[in-house]
Amino acid sequence: MPLGSVLFAFAVGAIICAVTGANPIDAYSGLICGGFGIACTQGENPALQVSNTIVFLTPLITTGVAVALPFRAGLFNIGAEGQLLAGSVACTAIGVKFGNLPSPILLPMVLLGGMAAGALWAGIAGVLKATVGAHEVVTTIMLNYVAQWLVRFLIIGGPLQLGPGTSKSLPIGEGARLATILPADNSLIIFGLPASVFRVHTGLLIALAAAAAFAFLLWRTSFGYEIRAVGQSQKAARYAGVSVRRTIILTMLIAGAFSGLAGAVQIAGVDHNLTDKYFSDTTGFDAIAVALLGLGSAVGIVLASLLFGALHSGGAIMQSDAGISSNLVLVLQALILFSIAANFVGAIRRGLPFGRKATPDLPPELPPAAGLMSDATAPPPESS
Amino acid sequence: MSGIGDILHLLFTANLWQATLAAAVLLLLPALGGVISERSGVVNIAMEGMMLTGAFFAVVADLAWHNPWLATGVAIVAGGLMALIHAVVSIQFRADQIVSGIAINIFAAGLTVFLVNRIYGLQDVGHVGPTEGLPYIDVHGLDQIPFIGQVFFQQNVVVYVALILLVLIHVVLFRTRLGLRIRAVGEHPQAADTAGLNVFAIRYGAVIASGLLSGLSGAFLAIGISNTFVPNMTDGRGYIALAAMIFGKWTPFGAFIACLIFGLGQAIYDNNSIIHVSPYLLSMLPYVLTLIVLAGLVGRSTPPAADGLPYVPGSE
Repeated sequence: MPLGSVLFAFAVGAIICAVTGANPIDAYSGLICGGFGIACTQGENPALQVSNTIVFLTPLITTGVAVALPFRAGLFNIGAEGQLLAGSVACTAIGVKFGNLPSPILLPMVLLGGMAAGALWAGIAGVLKATVGAHEVVTTIMLNYVAQWLVRFLIIGGPLQLGPGTSKSLPIGEGARLATILPADNSLIIFGLPASVFRVHTGLLIALAAAAAFAFLLWRTSFGYEIRAVGQSQKAARYAGVSVRRTIILTMLIAGAFSGLAGAVQIAGVDHNLTDKYFSDTTGFDAIAVALLGLGSAVGIVLASLLFGALHSGGAIMQSDAGISSNLVLVLQALILFSIAANFVGAIRRGLPFGRKATPDLPPELPPAAGLMSDATAPPPESS
Repeated sequence: MSGIGDILHLLFTANLWQATLAAAVLLLLPALGGVISERSGVVNIAMEGMMLTGAFFAVVADLAWHNPWLATGVAIVAGGLMALIHAVVSIQFRADQIVSGIAINIFAAGLTVFLVNRIYGLQDVGHVGPTEGLPYIDVHGLDQIPFIGQVFFQQNVVVYVALILLVLIHVVLFRTRLGLRIRAVGEHPQAADTAGLNVFAIRYGAVIASGLLSGLSGAFLAIGISNTFVPNMTDGRGYIALAAMIFGKWTPFGAFIACLIFGLGQAIYDNNSIIHVSPYLLSMLPYVLTLIVLAGLVGRSTPPAADGLPYVPGSE
């Protein structure tokens, strides 16, 4: 992981705190306590903080994979959020409609349904890219907003609404829920708290399996080779007999399935219904930072998810203990993105590249921007 | 069905079109910014963040100094400073322009709420007084023309400014040497450099212009329409402006037409007591329409050739 970028972000974040009259030490010790349960001053339960961090990081792993896989094909999927919402919607709809089915049937149904919905959502962008060359960044932005408004429609006055005046959906059936890792039992005391407050659920295992599947697909299958070939050079891939169109569409379908799975797991494992919380969900955008910071590798993505999960969990404690808005976490996240994208750290090490003699300074794991935008003007890949 | 009659009736009210134009202008300003920036070859998906920053600083300045003009100036500068970050990161450091844009949007969302908390504590920001917002101006005489008068000449001051800017930017982009230079840098920076143009300077200027325009739009939203700041109050408008830019094929008037279509949707949304369609479904419209345009069903929409490519001097 580019740790320098993280340190750079924290340094600038500390300056922003200091300039605005907040104590950076208080801010960061709040984050560390909230994220990892270390050095807490207000009697927070360390085990609970770690549990919260794990709950936050679970969907980040799966959506991080959904951004990282298309990266390898030279595609920028900034639609993980919309695909996640599509997955949440499908999971909720199926989990409500077939709520009486037993878990061995219903649970696979909601998870596969979520994957299918996410794949469909990303597939629209994939097909538009492969057939008419519509840029996937723009189409996935549009699809994010369509999904967001769809969720609002469905749970406010729409068919999934719990009841008049509410902004949440009916709860999914018991059979559609993922088990928590600790028994949801109030009489059982673990780490000094009732076991039911620890919300870590088996979705964590699904997320880790997704990361493993991503690595396997990318490095151990011929399709993974095709993805990487297309990402390196569409022209060369075509000469090597790879169908660029098919690779683009399949890559987006698989990425969407990962995001959709993240959304379904979030409903099945944590929330059990769609709520207005999903209107302002940012998991799919955090995933972009996760994928970049994790340098597109499975292990990197898990580690980056841990960092961002801890920041989310820590933000709440920073706000309650130090009185510093949890939105500092967003500021830090943006700074990490700036820093990775611009490779500030490398620039500082070599002396700033101002002036015209600078050498190109693209971070290695990003597909070159050339591959990102110039395709929009090129004719659709493979006119055969 | 009475619904059809209600819609027709609504379409013939001046109120609806007055609201349409105001909503369109809110989108037009950042869309014009996007046109300028992308014409110079720098992809800009950060209008949302620049607009939000402008909205926030407009309210902060207006609450502090009780002067909407000064506050608008502050908002414009704040939008421009956000754009400057995008420019430094994506032009100077040749970062991926999409990542930089996403970072700007996240940065603006986080920083504004963080600063609300630093300045006002954990409560509301407070409201700008009724006389301290950007004023609505009736153009004397013209505002009495039936229908047309209410639609075009009973508007916020920003609406008039935006319409003037629309014409001005169109003329500059397509009828002046500066406009030719901006477009040359966006289509073929190597050739423009060879011809003696300063690619970096032109791109910096274009990106900063997009921030100034987005900041103005933020001020209009915050102290012209809402009179307060709430977190994430732009609510995707910067992205709708992006859609309008693409819909309008990277031209000022094309973007304006798209903004009018999206603005009409917004105005109908606001009149939803008459029309019995979920407002949430109506809100999807700009995004769905843009997808349809991108799908090539209504003609191709092609960005400038070097849009998104960092310029490396001496490269092929």
